[in-house]
Amino acid sequence: MSPLDWTVLIGTLTTIILYGVWKSRGQQNLDSYFLDNQSMPWYIILLSIIGTQASAITFISAPGQAYTDGMRFVQYYFGLPLAMVVLCITFVPIFHKLKVYTAYEYLEQRFDLKTRTLASTLFLIQRGLSTGISICAPSIILSSLLGWNLYWTNMIMGGLLIIYTVVGGTRAVAYTQTFQLIIIFSGMFLAGWMVVHLLPPDVGFKQALQVSGKMDKLNVIVTKFDWKDKYNIWSGIIGGFFLALSYFGTDQSQVGRYLTAKSVKESRMGLLMNGLVKVPMQFLILLIGAMVFVFYLYFRAPIFFNEAQLARAHKTEQGPALLKLEDQYTELGKVKQQQVKQLAAALEAGNNAQADIAKKELQQTDVKATVIRTEALSLIKASDPTADTSDTNYIFLHFVVNSLPKGLVGLLIAIIFLAAWGSIAAALNSLASTTVVDVYQRLYNANASPGHYLMISRLWTLIWGVFCIVVAQFAGSLGSLIEVVNVLGSWFYGVTLGIFLVAFYLKKVGGTATFWAAIISEIVVLVVYWIGAVSFLWLNAIGCLLVLLLAWVFHQFCAPAQPREIA
Amino acid sequence: MALDQQPEEKPPLFPTWGYWYALVIAWLLLLIVLFYLFTKTFS
Repeated sequence: MSPLDWTVLIGTLTTIILYGVWKSRGQQNLDSYFLDNQSMPWYIILLSIIGTQASAITFISAPGQAYTDGMRFVQYYFGLPLAMVVLCITFVPIFHKLKVYTAYEYLEQRFDLKTRTLASTLFLIQRGLSTGISICAPSIILSSLLGWNLYWTNMIMGGLLIIYTVVGGTRAVAYTQTFQLIIIFSGMFLAGWMVVHLLPPDVGFKQALQVSGKMDKLNVIVTKFDWKDKYNIWSGIIGGFFLALSYFGTDQSQVGRYLTAKSVKESRMGLLMNGLVKVPMQFLILLIGAMVFVFYLYFRAPIFFNEAQLARAHKTEQGPALLKLEDQYTELGKVKQQQVKQLAAALEAGNNAQADIAKKELQQTDVKATVIRTEALSLIKASDPTADTSDTNYIFLHFVVNSLPKGLVGLLIAIIFLAAWGSIAAALNSLASTTVVDVYQRLYNANASPGHYLMISRLWTLIWGVFCIVVAQFAGSLGSLIEVVNVLGSWFYGVTLGIFLVAFYLKKVGGTATFWAAIISEIVVLVVYWIGAVSFLWLNAIGCLLVLLLAWVFHQFCAPAQPREIA
Repeated sequence: MALDQQPEEKPPLFPTWGYWYALVIAWLLLLIVLFYLFTKTFS
């Protein structure tokens, strides 16, 4: 990176930290520290929800996903608006009117202490580990691309945000997320504009769209149903609905955001606006990836976008064979450059017959290039059996680092840090609130002063921050970290959602039946995963449905639950 | 007073929250239709 990039990077990060600390004033008790005295307007709730969900990997991985697989990934978010509606009808009024700090407090009022403790423990395990991995995932990519030390990248990725999160609690988290998102969206808009601007002079946005579409990268809607296909409209609406419902309804890192709203109305508006903007937002991020794909049709693409891994493979006995494949890949790249020009010219002239011929030729060359790339990936794996041969997460940043002008590179790297900080800060805040409210205050020390709880809350925010950085330092050896995070979530999300759905919809079922249903379901989920019976994505549905079914069955054998007044 | 008997806050712009929920669902359907046309146009 150039001195200008370093200046932009350090300046942006420092500004955010100072802004966070400045917004941290006036914390006096748990109400102000975890709920900001329930004073937030809907637009801060909206940006905080988006900032919590959109991690660094969202901005790194989504464009790469469009590059490799097209834009159909956007269907994954189709269930989210529906989940927002259900949350507004069911979850939000209950959480607000009970004036809870955490979602799990409600479970004690509805069921009993053991069910509350079980749900909060599952959350602490899952969120604590996955936050550590969320620190490590972008750190590995940045350290590999820029040659940075992984240990220190982890420290900066997970460490600096602790300053304002510890001091300012929820208020600092929400306001920095707002500021961060303004910078992130500005930077992503500039990156999107630049990728089109960097195309050859005779290729405009329309031609780029046409070429990308002809190469099947604008496949936003896939209507064919396939159990094994992760991204089609059906899995997006049904699977995405359950995933979004469990994430926004039972994960304290999200629940903690909309609990800070000054009223049910503000919470609902924040969530409903999220339902309106999330899908178009993801569409635009993916569109950047589709444009990067067109860019690399006109300009040389490396055979493997993780060039640090490639360089390591060069130094092994696989090196000469790898170089040979790279030469072949480069030659095919030159052929593709000619063919894409022919395709664009045919499309511009409106000559569909010629465009179809050019498309077929380009696709045939692309198939040959893919075969060579697959051979190269085998060599990379042979050179290092621990190597991750998926380079999807490196594509967009490779473009940023190698093609964008000075200054903008620093801004885009800053965006990766800011996106990471937004989601990590919310996670630390929610881990601390659950630890203090559901464990410390409830089980160990119920009658301390407001100042004592504030001090303990800050201490636990710090402890969780350190814990997550320690996890990050060991997470590098876990393989595909995005998949590890998803698997970890799938172990627990379904069961937790099941507990909440029993609470809301099976009103006669009591705590003991639900508690044992959840315990058995959790064991079944882990066993099903361990024996590899289904893809991990199905564990959410299995866990949720099993809790509902078992709770209802156990209820038939339990003594009738005492009705609990929730008002 | 039980939870579900408490009076609801009125939403902005519309007389009831049902309109907002319908708007979100209608917006999703519109996006799906537009994305479908986008896919067909450029494929």
